[in-house]
Amino acid sequence: MKTTFLIAGFALALTPALPRSGAAQDARLERLTPEARVLVTTVIDSARAVGLPTEPLVDRALEGASKRAPDALIAAAIRRLAGDLGRARAALGPGTPQPELVAAADALRAGASPEVLVRLREALGDRHLAVPLGVTADLTARGVPADTAAGIVIALARSVSDGQLLALQRNVERDIALGAAPLAAAGGLLSAGADTQAAGLEIQSAGSTPPPRSTPPRKP
Amino acid sequence: MPESEDQLVARIADELRRPVRLDPGFDARVMAQVRGHPRRRRAWFLRPRAVSVSPLGGLALAATLAALVVGATLAVLRVRPAAGPVLATANAVPFVLYAPDARSVAVVGDFNDWDTAATPLQPTGSAGAWVVTVPLHPGRYRYGFVIDGTRWLADPGAPRAPDDDFGTPNSVLTVGT
Repeated sequence: MKTTFLIAGFALALTPALPRSGAAQDARLERLTPEARVLVTTVIDSARAVGLPTEPLVDRALEGASKRAPDALIAAAIRRLAGDLGRARAALGPGTPQPELVAAADALRAGASPEVLVRLREALGDRHLAVPLGVTADLTARGVPADTAAGIVIALARSVSDGQLLALQRNVERDIALGAAPLAAAGGLLSAGADTQAAGLEIQSAGSTPPPRSTPPRKP
Repeated sequence: MPESEDQLVARIADELRRPVRLDPGFDARVMAQVRGHPRRRRAWFLRPRAVSVSPLGGLALAATLAALVVGATLAVLRVRPAAGPVLATANAVPFVLYAPDARSVAVVGDFNDWDTAATPLQPTGSAGAWVVTVPLHPGRYRYGFVIDGTRWLADPGAPRAPDDDFGTPNSVLTVGT
């Protein structure tokens, strides 16, 4: 009997150490306040229950924690993101991978309608949509009308690779930064896309580039 | 007459075959010496012993072992969800910021759990540029720079994230396949 109690106690002591499913056990969320953790966990559990990806929600909560945002603001942000992810999945279909849902949620947040997402899905067939959706989101966020942005992306995506599409988008960003109107810069993508396709150009890098130097360099 | 080699070998063999006669008190003296040495604690663990476990205790032990195995397996399998349909290779993505007056620069984003200490940029010479290269799988990431541990800054050379939930703008990066 003594042995039985000993083993049972050992098993009970081990129970909390075992990993459990659910966001409440995600150690990263320990960075939130207890109050925010409760709010965030509720949203994440709800998203998981309906099959939405939870990692973007965790990331958004961690962003809020790093920026020391108020609890209510963090909770509101991930609720809004969960809603966007849900609308994106409704438009793109239940089997849509997480990167596509994240990009589609960005497109919706930028002002694209669910119909624009459906149009991209139908036009591009089985192609992975993360990059086309992301470029659409970025163009829309820059002020290009969502329908126009989607039309340009669809026209380009049929003939160029993801890397080429991203390189072309960087050209648009550069032109806008230099003063071009967003719509005109985006419209230039079509002719640039034809040139890119012909030249087979492809660049894989971050969008970050140092701006022109305006102050003397720091001494070593 | 000198002893031949064969005779020498035979004599040594005879000597070796002769039974050894020990002093009758030899065993007692050796054992007394052994008992005089301090016992090592680990001998307790090495000594064979009989253990009796009741059926209920055996079930509890089996359940404990099974829980440990399952827990360890889940812990190993509990990895960050896939970032994209093609995960075979990560792209080395450079992040560059021109910040000549900064004492430190870090990039934070969805790819490093927004940890301000995870990915510091390194200054490059005297030009004021800070650089780091991060391996990223295909996907879409929000990120920003943190200067001197306190000041948040969007990447001036990248698209802005469409939302600004926490009062500081972010950039967005799409990594293709």
